[in-house]
Amino acid sequence: MTAGGRLRIVGGAIHDPANGVDGEVRDLLIEDGRVVTSLPDDAPTLDARGMVVMPGGVDIHSHLASSSCNHARRIEPEEHAACPAPAPRLADGAPSRSGTGGTVPSTFTTGYRYAGLGYTTVFDAAVAPLTARHTHAELDDTPCVDAGFYALMGNDDYLLRQIAAGERGRARDYVAWLLGATGAYAVKIVNAGGVAAWKGGARDVNGIDDAAAGVTPRAILETLADAANALQLPHPVHIHCNNLGLAGNSATTLATMQALAGRRAHYTHLQFQSYGGEPGKSWSSAARPVMEYVNAHREVSVDVGQVMFGPAMTVTADSPLEYLLYKSTGRRWTNIDVELETGCGIVPLNYKEKAAVAALQWVVGLELFLLSEDPWRVVLSTDHPNGGSFLAYPQLIQLLMSRAARDAQLARVNQKWLAGSAMADGLAREYTLNEIAIVTRAGPARLLGLTRKGHLGPGADADVTIYSREADIAHMFSTPRYVLKAGELIVEEAQLRRAPAGARFSQQPGYDDAALPSIRDHFDRYSTVSFENYPVRRT
Amino acid sequence: MTAPVPTTVSAVTCLGCGCLCDDIEVRVAGGRIVEAGNACRLGVRWFGDGSTPELALVQGARATLDGALAAVRRLLTDAQGAALVYLAPDATSEAQRRAVAIADRYGAAVDGATSDVALGGILAGQRRGRAASTLGEIRNRADVVLFWACDPAERYPRYRSRYAVDPVGAQVPAGRAGRTLLGVSVGAARAPSDADVPLTLAPEQETAALGALRALVLGTALGELPPALTPLADLAERLKRGRYVALVLDGEPGAQDNPSRVEGLIALTQALNTPTRAALSTLRAGGNRSGAEAVLSWQTGYPAAVDFAAGYPTYGPERRGIVRAARGEIAGALVVGSVAAMPADHLAALRGVRIAAIGPRASASPLGCEVVLDTAIAGIHEAGTAYRLDDVPLPLRPPLRGRRSLADTLAMLLAGAAQ
Repeated sequence: MTAGGRLRIVGGAIHDPANGVDGEVRDLLIEDGRVVTSLPDDAPTLDARGMVVMPGGVDIHSHLASSSCNHARRIEPEEHAACPAPAPRLADGAPSRSGTGGTVPSTFTTGYRYAGLGYTTVFDAAVAPLTARHTHAELDDTPCVDAGFYALMGNDDYLLRQIAAGERGRARDYVAWLLGATGAYAVKIVNAGGVAAWKGGARDVNGIDDAAAGVTPRAILETLADAANALQLPHPVHIHCNNLGLAGNSATTLATMQALAGRRAHYTHLQFQSYGGEPGKSWSSAARPVMEYVNAHREVSVDVGQVMFGPAMTVTADSPLEYLLYKSTGRRWTNIDVELETGCGIVPLNYKEKAAVAALQWVVGLELFLLSEDPWRVVLSTDHPNGGSFLAYPQLIQLLMSRAARDAQLARVNQKWLAGSAMADGLAREYTLNEIAIVTRAGPARLLGLTRKGHLGPGADADVTIYSREADIAHMFSTPRYVLKAGELIVEEAQLRRAPAGARFSQQPGYDDAALPSIRDHFDRYSTVSFENYPVRRT
Repeated sequence: MTAPVPTTVSAVTCLGCGCLCDDIEVRVAGGRIVEAGNACRLGVRWFGDGSTPELALVQGARATLDGALAAVRRLLTDAQGAALVYLAPDATSEAQRRAVAIADRYGAAVDGATSDVALGGILAGQRRGRAASTLGEIRNRADVVLFWACDPAERYPRYRSRYAVDPVGAQVPAGRAGRTLLGVSVGAARAPSDADVPLTLAPEQETAALGALRALVLGTALGELPPALTPLADLAERLKRGRYVALVLDGEPGAQDNPSRVEGLIALTQALNTPTRAALSTLRAGGNRSGAEAVLSWQTGYPAAVDFAAGYPTYGPERRGIVRAARGEIAGALVVGSVAAMPADHLAALRGVRIAAIGPRASASPLGCEVVLDTAIAGIHEAGTAYRLDDVPLPLRPPLRGRRSLADTLAMLLAGAAQ
């Protein structure tokens, strides 16, 4: 099919919003893994007439390959047993691997399933720097997707000490050094200061001016946002706010956004951060005020973290939150305190339509999508596997594109906390195919600064997903007819046929070498790992 | 002739026990290790002088590498459906990843050196989860350390000096003087003799004592403690008063030890996180045992006792590979890593099974192997990754070179395997 790496995809309706193309029927030309403007007449062709052609999907926020994920895999063997995944039969008898599914599938299965969904680029959103070596190994065993990860820094002991000492320049150098040492792509903040407070016995912080960790979340947020922007990282600081998951937390979310006003910042799984009400008393949707702020501030981007009904695995560095989940659900609970850096908490959950809070969470997520005025800054995610599996993306797309599907489900869910929500008041909006293309590929690629992803212009990576046009939207998006990765057909007739290794995204910003003795001194005093053995050196 | 000039390789990781101390200064002269600075007695023994044979044998006769690999493939093919890939404890994670791939390719079971002793902890963790930490948190925070039925001095000699209780930590600036050492001995399983607060339990009291401690911590204790357990009230109070409590147990207990100990300690540690903060530290012996569980988890979803016979991984702790071998249900086994590091009862279970061994000093195996392929020793000649007992991955900096690695040998085996 791709002799000489060439392929002419003929007659599909192209949805390439980054280049202003909205369903135009035209050929897409590919050579040597890239999109090109011309091909010899005898180039092989792929008939895409009547089909929908988009760039490969880009997942800006997933938990797929980390030490935390691996602890989560261990905690529910029964869900793996319920979902065996035999090795796919690849073209030409190429070797492939079996595995298991469940909320946190094994690595090879994760790669195959992302590819089968038409996603070709994925980022793990929370990696403890101490375990970066582990994440690289898992990603090496996750085929089909180009990948990267964000390094957890919002509770880092060295960083908090620098902030307390007013050494923001030193903090910036440390951020640069840490990104390079771990091979990470971006800076992640999870519950700034809250995890450090929990490890220190103070349970958590209660807002952005609570200095239980010795410095305020506000100072941590400002320092890291400024560092990421000063280092000109392609993706700004990626923020999981304080008080995630608690009633009334929209006040904290808005305070965080206001604290960083004017600074580029990405707020992740915003659904979990957009609640009204009062802890222990009541819940309500605060999607309206939160999304109003997002709409009005172009420096802000978000992903939604939609809750989808069914089994999920909460796995997060926000260990004080997981402790609360453990206490309130009585389910299995894993907590790992990671020295000098962060935490890890895991509790399995099941979101049920008839559960009042789960129903509210489902509604809040949809409201954020439907109230947003700029799809380029609102990315589709389920915070896999926290709000649900990435495999639920097609069902979520259906909810966004079909008011009828949405209303049918809305009628079934628990109504207890839905009064006054925008959904209950009626939201008629239905996403178009082009808007879906924005929130699933073009938007996240742009927010990540990936210039060759998320679009189909000349020079773009030839990561392409081709769907049969179907009335059943969920089925259409769950079974792409063809998927190309770097010009190679990896899915044909909805079957995985090839499983190439993916590339790795990382950042290595420069820093002042004068910062190194201080960092080394910190290691020598407090770390149990030799300074020489901390950086990941990949060959 | 002049004597060779010694060179020193710094920050070498020792696989002598699960502490994986990565501060070893290894001096090399004439292609031999002559000193392992900073290493404990276990480490010195583990490093040795680095000498190791380089043989490839099929049925006892010298063979080429290709010939030996072909013989291993034949053995695994012949045993299809009744094949075992056995992970000895001393393989890098890179080698373990390939070993699991081989098992997947040949529909084999995967079992390993720690399945008998560590499985209880794994299963208890799957029932409850666990509250744990990396070792640096214990070093930097723990002001109360409870050694339960274990004394690290014997099998983990540097645990106390590197992690707890001796070192100065960020929140424990006085070091040992700033920490309270609690020691619970259970029968012959002794806690450190210098415990600030020692307590001895009879083996038959242990399960009840763990339950009573948990109830005391949770404030749910009903009625008076039996007289023999009254000291537990003081122990519970000391645990609750700690700012950060580390509970330490041996994750690889003896066959005579209480099998419910680990679950009792998991539950106690989780309960302690309501009045204070607490973490359970699980001691593991040498090699890369945690790494094997990590690799199996990410490649299959299960941390141990995996079988690929169905065409995908299934989990069967009660019918794991070595159990099947003892029942005569295994026809052929590939041992990956050092045969010398296998427990005696596993060697016994494999008697009569056709065996191929690929690993360090495989040619010195007492197993009567059909095929042996000597390889480098992980961490001595072979680079890669190994996991500390707290699941922290560390790089291996081999002080010696010039041997074919286990990981590369397994890659060659895989590359030639039929689809």
